[in-house]
Amino acid sequence: MPEFLKGNYKVDVTIEDKADALDSTDEFEKKALSRLGGSICFVSKKSLIWQGEGPPPASRAGAPDDKEKAGGAGTKNSPGA
Amino acid sequence: MELGRKIARALEAATFERVAGVGLANAEENRPRIARSVLELAETPLGTGDAAVVVGAGPSLHRRRSLERLRGSGFAGTIVAADGALGACLRAGVVPHVVVSVDPHPERIVRWFGDPTLEKPRDDDYFRRQEMDPMHHDDEHGANREVEANRALVDLVNTYGPKIKVAAATSAAPTVVERCEQAGMDLYWWNPMYDDYDKPDSLSRRLWEMNGLPCLNGGGNVGTAAWVLTNAVLGRRRIGLIGVDLGYAPGTPYEKTQYYPELRELLGDRYGEAFIHTENPLTGETWFSDPAYHWFRDVFLEMARDADGQTVNCTEGGLLFGPGITTATLDTFLENAAGGTIDHG
Repeated sequence: MPEFLKGNYKVDVTIEDKADALDSTDEFEKKALSRLGGSICFVSKKSLIWQGEGPPPASRAGAPDDKEKAGGAGTKNSPGA
Repeated sequence: MELGRKIARALEAATFERVAGVGLANAEENRPRIARSVLELAETPLGTGDAAVVVGAGPSLHRRRSLERLRGSGFAGTIVAADGALGACLRAGVVPHVVVSVDPHPERIVRWFGDPTLEKPRDDDYFRRQEMDPMHHDDEHGANREVEANRALVDLVNTYGPKIKVAAATSAAPTVVERCEQAGMDLYWWNPMYDDYDKPDSLSRRLWEMNGLPCLNGGGNVGTAAWVLTNAVLGRRRIGLIGVDLGYAPGTPYEKTQYYPELRELLGDRYGEAFIHTENPLTGETWFSDPAYHWFRDVFLEMARDADGQTVNCTEGGLLFGPGITTATLDTFLENAAGGTIDHG
């Protein structure tokens, strides 16, 4: 409880802090909504692909360049089949 | 604001809540199996030319016989399918070059590849209820045919698996990964973009630092992720969409929609208010969406607006129309995209 709301006398009733109840309602809503979500995230205002910065830190990745490709520009097409 | 639209606005954050934890856990578990980046797929021979067809698992696929028409056209371009559409593709004689899988669900998604361990119907009624592949529904007499449909799919995937490449998100369930490997499919990996990679505490950035794989902005669902992959990784610039409806066909009972149990639980008797009805300007049909599909549609339109190349909605139905999307019949798209013929069977 904030310092300035403290009284200078004792009361007989116990006053419950509602903060916990509010938190649990929010938590319920969050959990309920999460069940309506998709199977993969969407990050608004970001590019379709992000290939990191600098050389790939793990040895296995085949990232040829360190760049962000807005809208997928510049990926090579390999005709075949 | 309508209740459905109001809920839809909360789904970007809600999806993160739903998939981030399990997706990251799966990324850790899948780590020893990761041998190839999806970027290597761009250097692999697939279909010819810059045209591609992305196959979603929406109801128009069956209503419009899109796959049968695709096969009949001899389309020579690249075919990329969402995992939920794989069974329909193979049954129609279309072997996709690439199948995309993202969903971390530990039991459901493996069924799109045929689950060799399924011996009796599970309590989960998802496959009996979903609108994506009617083969898993009860038959006309109400008899459960899940096991029979699954067995047929196991055989088909085992037969054609070695011809199919899987673009697997690191979030994919390990059961799916194991099944794909068992069926002889080659896996190419990528990370789902979970959050803003420019933020220093970003999960996307941490994942990239862990495995070096590119992060794709998934758009909420596997069909949209398949389009992102086709555009941003494979570099195809004329992309036709089939089965990417992002909505439910007219007459679909609410009980047969993807999120019905969740909406019922969340909203009680008001669940019907969450559905949004919209007329398709081309067919004049009224399709409808739940909050999730409505969000998927908004997201797709946002991404398509800024993307290079042309995206052509050939579903002949559904709810995906707006700026950034061209609409044409499948036959028109295939005629324009024709660049030789090839047998996809």
